[in-house]
Amino acid sequence: MAEDLVLDTAIRDWVLIPLSVVMVLIGVLRYFVSKLMKGSSQVPDPKIVKEGQVIIRARNLRAGANYIPAKSFRARKAYYSNEENGLLHVPKGQAQNPQAQMFSDPNMAMDMMKKNLSMIIPQTLTFAWVNFFFSGFVAAKIPFPLTQRFRAMLQNGIDLSTVDVSYVSSRSWYFLNLFGLRGLFSLILGEENATDDTQRMMQMSGFGMDPSKTLGAEKDGLDIVQHEWALPKFEQRAEAVLRKLVK
Amino acid sequence: MVTRTEEEEVNRLENQVENGGGGVWEYLCLVHKLKLRRSDMVLKHGLSILNDSKKRSALGPEEWTLYEQVAVAAMDCQSIDVAKDCIKVLQRKFPGSKRVGRLEAMLLEARGLWSEAENAYSSLLEENPFDQVVHKRRAAMAKAQGNISAAIDWLNKYLDLFMADHEAWRELAEIYVSLQMYKQAAFCYEELILSQPTVPLYHLAYADVIYTLGGLENLQTAKKYYASTIDLTGGKSTRALFGICLCTSAIGQLTKGRSKEDKESSELQSLSAMALEIDFN
Repeated sequence: MAEDLVLDTAIRDWVLIPLSVVMVLIGVLRYFVSKLMKGSSQVPDPKIVKEGQVIIRARNLRAGANYIPAKSFRARKAYYSNEENGLLHVPKGQAQNPQAQMFSDPNMAMDMMKKNLSMIIPQTLTFAWVNFFFSGFVAAKIPFPLTQRFRAMLQNGIDLSTVDVSYVSSRSWYFLNLFGLRGLFSLILGEENATDDTQRMMQMSGFGMDPSKTLGAEKDGLDIVQHEWALPKFEQRAEAVLRKLVK
Repeated sequence: MVTRTEEEEVNRLENQVENGGGGVWEYLCLVHKLKLRRSDMVLKHGLSILNDSKKRSALGPEEWTLYEQVAVAAMDCQSIDVAKDCIKVLQRKFPGSKRVGRLEAMLLEARGLWSEAENAYSSLLEENPFDQVVHKRRAAMAKAQGNISAAIDWLNKYLDLFMADHEAWRELAEIYVSLQMYKQAAFCYEELILSQPTVPLYHLAYADVIYTLGGLENLQTAKKYYASTIDLTGGKSTRALFGICLCTSAIGQLTKGRSKEDKESSELQSLSAMALEIDFN
């Protein structure tokens, strides 16, 4: 279609710019609200801290096993993985699944909820607001042609197949802003701002790692370590070094 | 650990700073990052920045970390007044901050008010039982008072929770050595070797401890660790070379008469003796 749609400048003044400004302001507001809600830093559970440390130490033992004498290695292995009170031994039944843990610890559920609320509520509200006031506007035109595939992305809310794809509907402009303002936020609010939605979504999916499982895995790893003392080899290597030195 | 390039960089900057060549802030940052203890330099040059309001405001928010750094350095140099001023500034900026609270407790400690400092640390730990620095300060304070057994207690309690902290293991090992509790020290050094298998320092210290414990098996083990130290240092460690010689002669004395396997190992001794001779020539 050769004929161009001419967009009213009023649309620019009353749709495009307000929408962007509102998105930025909401992002900033959300940052401060989430900062406020985070407020009191919760104290981590000593058990979890200790488990993390045990895992690091056991990993060190696994990696460096060959550098300590066999006797010391055996003593440590027993200390970590004996069936009665080894550090890595998780008694059966005590291993909670994360779901139960979440319910037993109201703080955790509360945290999740806070995070979710600060993410979802403003988004729903702004989406509703955009839908209500600006639905159906063609808000902008990008200065290069695009293929039909981009129609769903750029012309969300206008069901017209005859409009050229380079026109952006107001609802799509909202989405573009929602995901595209990250760079701007990190500029205004500093690097580690809390408005990073994509990252947060990733965190959500990673939630629910079971510490007792890592303990068990570490124990299994430790059980199959064959201790082969590396030090006798070092005598020969030291001889070689010295021989070179003496010459 | 500080690598050689980092150390060279620090020394270069220190020289430059000493001769008035600028780069003070970079130097201070580097010292802070590498956790070096050059308190006199930090105090002198940090203060020169802090006393210059233009330079100070150019730092932006980093200004406050500099105040903290200078405060700690001042306490280390017993410039209590400077430390007090720094802490006062920080207090005004961050009222109720735990980090400043820690500094205040350290100031009490630096002034030798042990019981007050102890109380301050305890209350800090009540608020946050996972403050590693406070735990360590407590152990250090016990040691400074000469109360070694209390220091061991604190360290053990700390290591029970933060058992992957190799600095604490090292401190504990050194305390045990000073008390001649070699078996415990050996355990600590094993732990250190496990966490950093390529640091020759730990191999050497472990060998020393094991050698001191004595007994044929221990002597042989000690010799192996001296050998590994030689390998890791490229034969530069005089102490390890001596250790080889001492171990070999001690083993020889213990196994007098039944010499079967020491034939091959005697070469290591003669080689280290030769290396020592070269060193001393």
